[in-house]
Amino acid sequence: MPPKRKAAPGQGNASKAGRASAMSTPGPATPRSLDSSIMSDGDEDFDEDVTEAQKEREALLSREADDFVNKFTFGGKRLQGQNDELGGGGRRYDAATAFFRKRDFSHLPLKPDHQNRPLWIDPDSCTVVLERFNPLAEQATDFLITIAEPKSRPTFLHEYALTPHSLYAAVSVGLRPRDIINTLERFLKTSLPDVVRMKIEDHTKSFGKVKLVLKHNKYFVESVDAEVLQTLLKDKVIGSLRVHGSGDITTSYAPTMGGLVIPGTQNAAGVHQANLRQAEKKPGEGGDASNEADLFTALNEEDDDDDKEAVHAFEISDANVETVQKRCLDIGFPILEEYDFRNDDVNPNLEIDLRPNTQIRPYQEKSLSKMFGNGRAKSGIIVLPCGAGKTLVGITAACTIKKGVIVLCTSSMSVVQWRQEFLKWSNINPDDVAIFTAESKQKFSGSTGIIVTTYSMVTNSRERSHDSKKMMDFLRGREWGLMLLDEVHVVPAEMFRRVISSIKSHSKLGLTATLLREDDKISHLNFLIGPKLYEANWMELSQQGHIAKVQCAEVWCPMPTEFYDEYLRANARMKRTLYAMNPRKFQACQYLINYHEARGDKIIVFSDELYSLKQYALKLKKVFIYGGTSQAERMQVLENFQHNPEVNTLFLSKIGDTSLDLPEATCLIQISSHFGSRRQEAQRLGRILRAKRRNDEGFNAFFYSLVSKDTQEMYYSSKRQAFLVDQGYAFKVITQLANIEKTPDLAFATPLESRELLQRTLVDNERGAEDDVETDDLFGKPGGRGSGGGRGGRRGGNGVRRTAGMLSELAGGQDMAYIEQNKAANKALKGKGKKGAGGDGQSKFFKGIQREKDKSRGRG
Amino acid sequence: MSGGQQSYQLSEYLEKLPGTTFRKLYQQPSTAFAIFRRMLPPLAKVFVQALLYMPSPLLLAELDVWVRAEGKMQRDRALSILRSLHIIQITPPGKDKPQEMQLTTNFKNSLRLALEGGGSHNSFGVPSTLPVDPRIDIAHLDHYARKKWEDILHYVVNSVPAQGDGGGSISTAGPKTSVKELLLLGRLVELRRDTRAGVGITQAGFTFLLQEANAQVWTLLLLWLEAADRAKGEAKGAAAKTDSIDMLSFLFMLASLELGRAYNTDALTETRRNMLPHLVDFGLILVPREDTRQYFPTRLATTLTSSASSLRSVSSGFSAAAANNPGDASSLGTTPETSAASKGSIIIETNYRLYAYTSSPLQIAVLALFTQLNMRFAGMATGRLTRDSIRRAIGFGITADQIISYLASHAHDQMVRAAAATGRPVLPPTVVDQIRLWQLENERMRTSAGFLFKDFDSLEEYVSLSSYADEIGVLVWRNDKKRMFYAIKMEQLRDYLKSRKKAE
Repeated sequence: MPPKRKAAPGQGNASKAGRASAMSTPGPATPRSLDSSIMSDGDEDFDEDVTEAQKEREALLSREADDFVNKFTFGGKRLQGQNDELGGGGRRYDAATAFFRKRDFSHLPLKPDHQNRPLWIDPDSCTVVLERFNPLAEQATDFLITIAEPKSRPTFLHEYALTPHSLYAAVSVGLRPRDIINTLERFLKTSLPDVVRMKIEDHTKSFGKVKLVLKHNKYFVESVDAEVLQTLLKDKVIGSLRVHGSGDITTSYAPTMGGLVIPGTQNAAGVHQANLRQAEKKPGEGGDASNEADLFTALNEEDDDDDKEAVHAFEISDANVETVQKRCLDIGFPILEEYDFRNDDVNPNLEIDLRPNTQIRPYQEKSLSKMFGNGRAKSGIIVLPCGAGKTLVGITAACTIKKGVIVLCTSSMSVVQWRQEFLKWSNINPDDVAIFTAESKQKFSGSTGIIVTTYSMVTNSRERSHDSKKMMDFLRGREWGLMLLDEVHVVPAEMFRRVISSIKSHSKLGLTATLLREDDKISHLNFLIGPKLYEANWMELSQQGHIAKVQCAEVWCPMPTEFYDEYLRANARMKRTLYAMNPRKFQACQYLINYHEARGDKIIVFSDELYSLKQYALKLKKVFIYGGTSQAERMQVLENFQHNPEVNTLFLSKIGDTSLDLPEATCLIQISSHFGSRRQEAQRLGRILRAKRRNDEGFNAFFYSLVSKDTQEMYYSSKRQAFLVDQGYAFKVITQLANIEKTPDLAFATPLESRELLQRTLVDNERGAEDDVETDDLFGKPGGRGSGGGRGGRRGGNGVRRTAGMLSELAGGQDMAYIEQNKAANKALKGKGKKGAGGDGQSKFFKGIQREKDKSRGRG
Repeated sequence: MSGGQQSYQLSEYLEKLPGTTFRKLYQQPSTAFAIFRRMLPPLAKVFVQALLYMPSPLLLAELDVWVRAEGKMQRDRALSILRSLHIIQITPPGKDKPQEMQLTTNFKNSLRLALEGGGSHNSFGVPSTLPVDPRIDIAHLDHYARKKWEDILHYVVNSVPAQGDGGGSISTAGPKTSVKELLLLGRLVELRRDTRAGVGITQAGFTFLLQEANAQVWTLLLLWLEAADRAKGEAKGAAAKTDSIDMLSFLFMLASLELGRAYNTDALTETRRNMLPHLVDFGLILVPREDTRQYFPTRLATTLTSSASSLRSVSSGFSAAAANNPGDASSLGTTPETSAASKGSIIIETNYRLYAYTSSPLQIAVLALFTQLNMRFAGMATGRLTRDSIRRAIGFGITADQIISYLASHAHDQMVRAAAATGRPVLPPTVVDQIRLWQLENERMRTSAGFLFKDFDSLEEYVSLSSYADEIGVLVWRNDKKRMFYAIKMEQLRDYLKSRKKAE
């Protein structure tokens, strides 16, 4: 991953790795303080039920993976000689060279027809600059997305970086080093510098050479290069693990995509029409199934020329798979997993196909063709923006493989959603889609089927009920054709290790919107799941209308002097509360809500700060959901937000960041957020990308980020936006909202009110933040844990707490009243819901609140 | 150019000259012709052409027949320019006689001479009859002028604080000391310790850089004329006047010479001969080392009075010269697109990344003033605008508006086309806003002019006056302990105080 690239060559890697791994395994002994995790994403604690021994083992694995990842950075591998050749010294070409330090490459001569070629390359950092307005841009983009990591994709010029991981991914989808080099040479304005050529050769030499194939339910280590296989066999660890007796090295022929047809594509439609389904069974016939751009067709055709490449393989036993994988990693031949599902006769076929009227979109097809490029299923990660139909990609993959599928999601709510989606898009028998959560533990009826569950269900190893234990045994005892991993970015690498070690699957497909983590753990996924197969361009999808167009704005809210005074004096925690509670920000929020409600928008307001979330929602009389909200209440609030025309604004804490599907929402306001997390920003934006109304003429969704001027928030804000800005989103800075002072009932309009707010904020928060810790899961954790208190127990202070407080608080003058009122807006909904049913169960107090609310609504 | 008020314009200089100077200037046909060509708006030219061979003065009222009612503003503007340049005379309005206008005698005669030819005024230079060195052709002259002028611009640009190993240290020797002094004198650069060259660019200097080459040359020449005026004015007094007129008309004469032709230095007056070394320093003329009796005007000189259509900017400047310069990278791509790209070369993205299709070290140096440069390829430089890079530029006195207008006027064709297609502004609005905001960040201080009230006779007087000031809304600050307050207006307070005193 790119940030690692900056590590000083050769040195410091070890220490860095050590530090990183320490961070990656938060245990009870090393609670991470807020300060130390300030820039990290604050990984959710999934590993609450793990034994110490297991942890240690994982820490070790993680460290090893870190070392390995570091080994694969360009910096560490560069040869000294190359360094000199690069002109590291003071080579000067003209007066302007000095401005670029060592990155002046104007000595590389342009080709005579450079105008017609779209790429430049920086031989040092392997950054590729692409002219989007060049006639060849489309093809070059297709090529680059396969071999390089997109860095910046605005309007005119894009930047990509060649990294070892991206090359690994390229090789794994079937590109050969020769292809990469030749195609690059074709697109480059200059000739390909030798340094780059060497780097590519160097890094692709070992990648993708070795494949792990489950064939006839036996694991084979496979390679096209007999020498590589010999190397492996000579290795003392791997060599001894080979299964003898089954003929030493078997040789067969490389598979081609042949007659494989991904359902839902144009091809599939054609096949159906012509009723040529038997073509599937005859590899080599049935036409060219690749719907790729010219380039890939060309490459594939090239493949066909020297078809029937021999592959060599030796068998290893099931028990040793992980050891071999690890060893291969160690000696620099990362194993690629492939599943030849068409020749798998051992596992029963699943009766599943996409519904005939289902058409998948071109980019979905493209991403899947990377996965099934050679007729086998490759493991890897597909990155699509929120709302771009990741689920359908997963389902189509399942329909292609037609074997048992296990789906892992982050929350029990998305478990339900996944099942519904399966039923919606495919013709699968509903009995064959089972759910495994705390509440329901089903099994499918037939010999094979689909199980949808959560990460925590499969990984938690303690305190399992009898039912779950039986269920787990069921899961462990089978072989799965495909493992779908939803939202892979949120789950720590250790967790994957546990999942992967306990459940056997032939292929794994990770799905995510943002392959981003402020800590560098993403790179581990490349080795645990597989390379990134495809990453979509947000801007392109939004231009094509697949996701909503969004106007982004950052609203600068000045802080009143007294607030700023207090802010300067406060500690880090209080600072965050203060900039969230800034009355100017409150006013801006109120103004924007009024404005957008009047336009008919449905608004989600996000706040990481629980205190301010409650204060805002309460003062503005809006509904809200946070970690402590009960499941039933959540469902009710969400339903109202979706269907009740009276409820247009919903306040959400960070539990709503991911996996929340609210296509009604068209406007998003963010009042406080998690430091500089680019991922959170992208995820939150994702909440409005699937807006129902996105295809209306001239429709725009709105994303506002409110920041208090001159506070740390400004700094974090620019950090957070980095990812989206590089995707081509433009954040407009708004310093002044027109006519904000004319807002009816403008909150905190007088200095007096604003001072009162300050005092109240200070007093309320002095007690410390009891409930600011939340899980990242909108719908609570299954299995005996209270959903709100989350980490509290681990911090050792949940049960009894001594707090300093004011007498008035005890008397209910301050806080007690809040708690009651907190529920007000939500409860009001409940009341309404019940009215139809009978209208009882509502206390006098809430009726009063309700009346008041109605009155105020009447006024508004 | 938005920041133009800082730079020196020829018209401003001329308008300050007294009438007698003009009369002398207009004795030279070349001057009259040059002024006619360069300084007049089209309508004024029409007037002059009409009046030129008119035997008798024209009634001012008749002019109204020529000009449509809606063009009255343009007419007035044309007339005011003509008057300020002493090209026409208009009789003062009187009761008995209607107003009349006519060309001033000298101007009329000189312009007629210039157009008809004839006379022995040598106003258009005397070609040298001596054999000419064949090596000195137009390409050579262009290369020479370009190098001279870019040295000067580099000197201005490179006065950027050295950051790391960037900036400073140019391979060439830079301009002559006299030119450097002139730049300092004109406050295009100022002495600074934090730069490698010892000088730093100023706001005026940046404005200078952003001008077209033609305007740049005039700015420098006028600075030079003024400096010469001052120096001589101290020494000799009245004689200096004639010198500066002669200098100015020499410049106008240069503009009418033919590029690539040798002219005779012997035919020049002493004043003019003394000017030659300076003009060589600026790159306006070339004097062959072997034969100092000849001088060649360069493109810089012959285009001095060209009209707007042949204007050239820093980036596109010397495109002709560049095309003929075999060593230059930009000439490698000999397709027409190269020259098209040199007009507008900069692409700025919404994520603040900047890409400039240029290989000119000068343009890169200009970009380096406000950009964090990153990579460079043949014909392309990349970088990004950052808060720091913009703030540094603002530290030099460059304004956000100057940067924005530079980016806008050098925007790449693709940006212009995309903007035209979508009907949106050429530069991404978010970037433009952000550049302004970065500037505003440094402008937090608010000043208000006003008056400090102190030393009151009694507490009561202080309280009553300060609260009165508060009531009428002029109070800005008060300190009860020290019995002082600050108000933005004082008239009402003064009256109040008077009436209070009276009441006592």
